[in-house]
Amino acid sequence: MSQLFAVLVGGILGTGIRLGVDTLLPHGADDLPLGTLIINVLGSFLLGLIVARFWSAAPLWLKAGLGTGLLGSFTTFSALMVSAVALTGSGLWLLAAVYLVLSLVLGFGAAAIGLRVGRVSTPIDWVDE
Amino acid sequence: MTLFPLLVAAAGGIGAALRLALNGVIHRRVRPEYPIAMTIINVSGSFALGFLTGLLEGRMLPQPWAIALGAGLVGGFTAFSTTSFHTLRLVQEKRWWAAVANSFGMLALAVIVAGLGLWLGWML
Repeated sequence: MSQLFAVLVGGILGTGIRLGVDTLLPHGADDLPLGTLIINVLGSFLLGLIVARFWSAAPLWLKAGLGTGLLGSFTTFSALMVSAVALTGSGLWLLAAVYLVLSLVLGFGAAAIGLRVGRVSTPIDWVDE
Repeated sequence: MTLFPLLVAAAGGIGAALRLALNGVIHRRVRPEYPIAMTIINVSGSFALGFLTGLLEGRMLPQPWAIALGAGLVGGFTAFSTTSFHTLRLVQEKRWWAAVANSFGMLALAVIVAGLGLWLGWML
């Protein structure tokens, strides 16, 4: 039950931040939705980072709230798809394909980098954090 | 009207809770060795957002509703970060075909159903 509540709260925050970024970086039907791309790549990086750094010690509700809730709702898959379809509707097939593949490759790479950056080989000095 | 963004964010929270619940229901029946639940969630969500966008373009749905349900509920329901991470894990386990299915496969399927949803919503 605490897990569901954490996801709900995290999801509200994540969606709210995504709306904020969308408002700051608006896009039309015939240009690249840069906001969604940045959100998805950043969210993938942060998930890799927190998984490597906190996951083994974190309680279940915190993992659910941050991973499933906050970052899951901050990033979005559906908007990516519909934006790509909108680009093809404007005749921009190549841009749509580039946008999709770029999101996929950068998202994957960002998750890998996040995981690498978050992995600590020496004990963390919490005073310096 | 100033409270509207809060409503959209709340809808996103509900979408995330639905994702958690559906993930649990699906992986209680199907072993979680392949993240099939996220495929179901992302593909169905892409169809739903396409459909809502189609309804909006066909003037069958007022814009505030399309934003609350589309950017809020469906946007919070689907997730990109989780899927990036799942693909990474499949690659680390050297399950190449599963990794391709979870990335390019899911993408192809989702973009087709998003187009289908858009067309269907626009036709109504």
